[in-house]
Amino acid sequence: MPRVNKGVLVECDPSIKAILLKIDQDAGHAYIIEDLDESTLVVKEQKLADLKHQLDAVLRKTSMQEREEESSGDDDGDF
Amino acid sequence: MPPKRKAPGASVGPKRSRTGTPAATPAASIGSEDDYSDSSGDEVAEEDMSRVINKFSITGHENVDAVATKKVDAASKFFVKRGRDNTHLQLKLGHASRPLWINPDGTIILESFNPLASRAQEFLTTIAEPQSRPQYLHEYKITAHSLYAAVASAGLTPEDLLGTLERFSKIAVPKTIAQFIKDTTESYGKIKLVLKDNRYFIESKDPQMLQKLLTDQEIGPLRLQEVVKEKAPQRGQLVIPGTKEAAGLKQAPNQPRVPNANAQNTEGGQQGTTDDLFTSITGIKEDEEGDDDEDEDTVHSFEISAESVETVQKRCFTLGFPISEEYAFRDDTKNPDLNIDLRPHARIRSYQEVSLNKMFGNGRAKSGIIVLPCGAGKTLVGISAGCTIKKSIVVLATSAMSVVQWAQQFKTWSNIDPDQIATFTSENKTAFKGDAGIIVSTYSMVTQTRGRSHDSEKMMQFLMGREWGLLILDEVHVVPAAMFRKVLTSINSHAKLGLTATLLREDDKVSDLNFLIGPKLYEANWMELAELGHIAKVQCAEVWCPMSPEFYTAYLNEPDARKKTLHYIMNPRKFQACQFLIDHHEKRGDKIIVFSDNVYALKAYALKLKKAFIYGETPQQERMRILENFQLNDQVNTIFLSKIGDTSLDLPEATCLIQISSHYGSRRQEAQRLGRILRAKRRNDEGFNAFFYSLVSKDTSEMYYSSKRQAFLVDQGYAFKVITHLQGIENLPGLAYSTLAERKELLEEVMLQNAEAGGQEKDDFDNATGLSYNANRRGAKNRRTKGKLSELSGGNTMAYMERNKSKNKDLKKSQFFKKLNRETERRKKEQLEMLKG
Repeated sequence: MPRVNKGVLVECDPSIKAILLKIDQDAGHAYIIEDLDESTLVVKEQKLADLKHQLDAVLRKTSMQEREEESSGDDDGDF
Repeated sequence: MPPKRKAPGASVGPKRSRTGTPAATPAASIGSEDDYSDSSGDEVAEEDMSRVINKFSITGHENVDAVATKKVDAASKFFVKRGRDNTHLQLKLGHASRPLWINPDGTIILESFNPLASRAQEFLTTIAEPQSRPQYLHEYKITAHSLYAAVASAGLTPEDLLGTLERFSKIAVPKTIAQFIKDTTESYGKIKLVLKDNRYFIESKDPQMLQKLLTDQEIGPLRLQEVVKEKAPQRGQLVIPGTKEAAGLKQAPNQPRVPNANAQNTEGGQQGTTDDLFTSITGIKEDEEGDDDEDEDTVHSFEISAESVETVQKRCFTLGFPISEEYAFRDDTKNPDLNIDLRPHARIRSYQEVSLNKMFGNGRAKSGIIVLPCGAGKTLVGISAGCTIKKSIVVLATSAMSVVQWAQQFKTWSNIDPDQIATFTSENKTAFKGDAGIIVSTYSMVTQTRGRSHDSEKMMQFLMGREWGLLILDEVHVVPAAMFRKVLTSINSHAKLGLTATLLREDDKVSDLNFLIGPKLYEANWMELAELGHIAKVQCAEVWCPMSPEFYTAYLNEPDARKKTLHYIMNPRKFQACQFLIDHHEKRGDKIIVFSDNVYALKAYALKLKKAFIYGETPQQERMRILENFQLNDQVNTIFLSKIGDTSLDLPEATCLIQISSHYGSRRQEAQRLGRILRAKRRNDEGFNAFFYSLVSKDTSEMYYSSKRQAFLVDQGYAFKVITHLQGIENLPGLAYSTLAERKELLEEVMLQNAEAGGQEKDDFDNATGLSYNANRRGAKNRRTKGKLSELSGGNTMAYMERNKSKNKDLKKSQFFKKLNRETERRKKEQLEMLKG
């Protein structure tokens, strides 16, 4: 008997998709069912909210990291 | 939400306020402007510091006007949280026609579209420091220093000031501001340190002030003589050479220095000596007899010794009366005069004149900093200041190349005898002939603490051992660095002038400059200068290049920060954008310079796009060749430069600048790079625009740094357009990395690089590779060897051998020798016969 899994089609920027792929990889392929092309994915339905949450966390972390990097890398190199 | 740019008002994170301030964030924004942060961490000093800060910060005064606001909308929380809620302030009637908003924290917002805006702007530039001047709303800030400058050089009284502010302002001037202005003008700058006849005097118009100082336990004992009273210095007959006044004065060459009828002029040398006599006899100087001006200002002063100057300065500062230094150069008879004047063809522009007026406002030279955009003629300002003071000058520049340029400029713009200019760099050390002269050197030469050659040591002794009239510091924003502070203590100079285009540092030490050198005397309006045609108009744009997917994944997965930068710099889409822009501008006939901080990227880009490039390790010959070609050859329209192009090279003009990688959020660097195209000769052509592109990779940390970098330029009035897509880029023939295979290959290469490649270029262009690349390469040290002359002449490896020695004997049998022998024998016989006979 064919098995049916409910999935959600996610369309996004290539860069965001790359982030989602990374999250998926770190979580051991728990989110993504299929990778269609550069900007579309099919994601497991129950995992959608969780994935969004993870994405938010990563984005927040990157912007915080930038703030920190900025303070450490601010040496002008003025002689 | 785009990250905030580093504006001085907004406080991001706790690291900003370095001293204790009582109130919340508004204080942090003011405190950082006015305070002098003492890095010694001394307990007592901290306490004193906070007292002075409170005195000089506006929130030190109680803010009684604040009332809780009732209106709440979506944006209110941003203002209320920061304490910037000013809704309680009442608008005046007719507020629509007035141009200023005055905030209780000292910032003033000017509506530049208001009809009264230009008058208000003139007024504001005298009393406040400009913070941000984009197109419609300007922001200024009243600080203690700016008020002092207003009072001292323009002669404004606090009542004048408040009156004018009241007239221009939409709201009633807040009480805190009024109080602040009164307090500051009362105490700041009332005490001056004056050097006359090589003696240091503490001078003040207010006798009570001096009394306070004298009764203080530290300063009192340092006083050397009785208090003297004399006339206040007036501008009098002082004429700054090159300005319009000087042009008029040339008509009557005998005019200057003639004392005026009403004896307003106190600067004559003769006057000085008679005054001295008086002082030594009576101890108190009388006013001159027959003087009809009763209401002339008088000043009181007492003398202190040269060694105690610093102690007195510190003590006055802690007491809350910071001393200002002024140099009465016309009275200075001890230091020899330097015969220097501006050449007649030197024309000083209006803004240069204004800045010099601020420096020489009351006939004496004030130490301070003048900020003018790149290419606007800072060198000429420095030279004019030198020509006004007419005493020995020391000029400190950042690199050996700048030293050469300064020396050349001095010879071009002034009539100084070439023998009287000396340069002091690692390559050549000369001294000037005569008593007075000019020395041009670099910061590194002067601050080097050990390892000096004998010649350098002698030069340093010379520099430190005498008094200089003027110390010109080029690119003064480097001075607060711990290394270069030492410069100021080792060289004894009466007046100090700092010149820069970008008074910015990312580490907040700029406020230290106020006390190291002097206040900011003048800051030019970049937009205004562009309008007047002194610098080029620039269109700034930020080009967003999306990251190609494989690069982006690699970027995300990379843990090392430096390798991450390499990923977003080497983005193939960036290559394509760069290629497209170069193609587009070359077709327009522009000369293009592409900047990159990262050497690996520089090489990769240049080699891929087949253009010439210069970086730190390029030999001198090649650099000259490339630059010449860039300037003259029509085929070479694009060059790639590394960080070396920021300071060390004498760059030719370009009309288009593309930046592919940069150093974090450095605003100064961005502004200085922009300065490279501000000098474009074609700027006066109708409708000419120079272009400045900054390529950033989307969705990476580069975006964040980019917006920070633009902060300074945005404040000066440059609007950065954002280009998200370059029209027609897909159709460009020969587009780099258009196939996936090529991109993957590039990615592999990039990933193989180690972290070093992602860093920026090292900075020591000057010593290793500046002018003397080849000389240093050969390791220019002298060696001593013992050897034979044959070694030195190169004959060591040679040997010689005689062949056919016996041939010589054959010669003796030849005809010639036989004949010779016969002749000699005959002569001998004849002589013998003569003797006999």
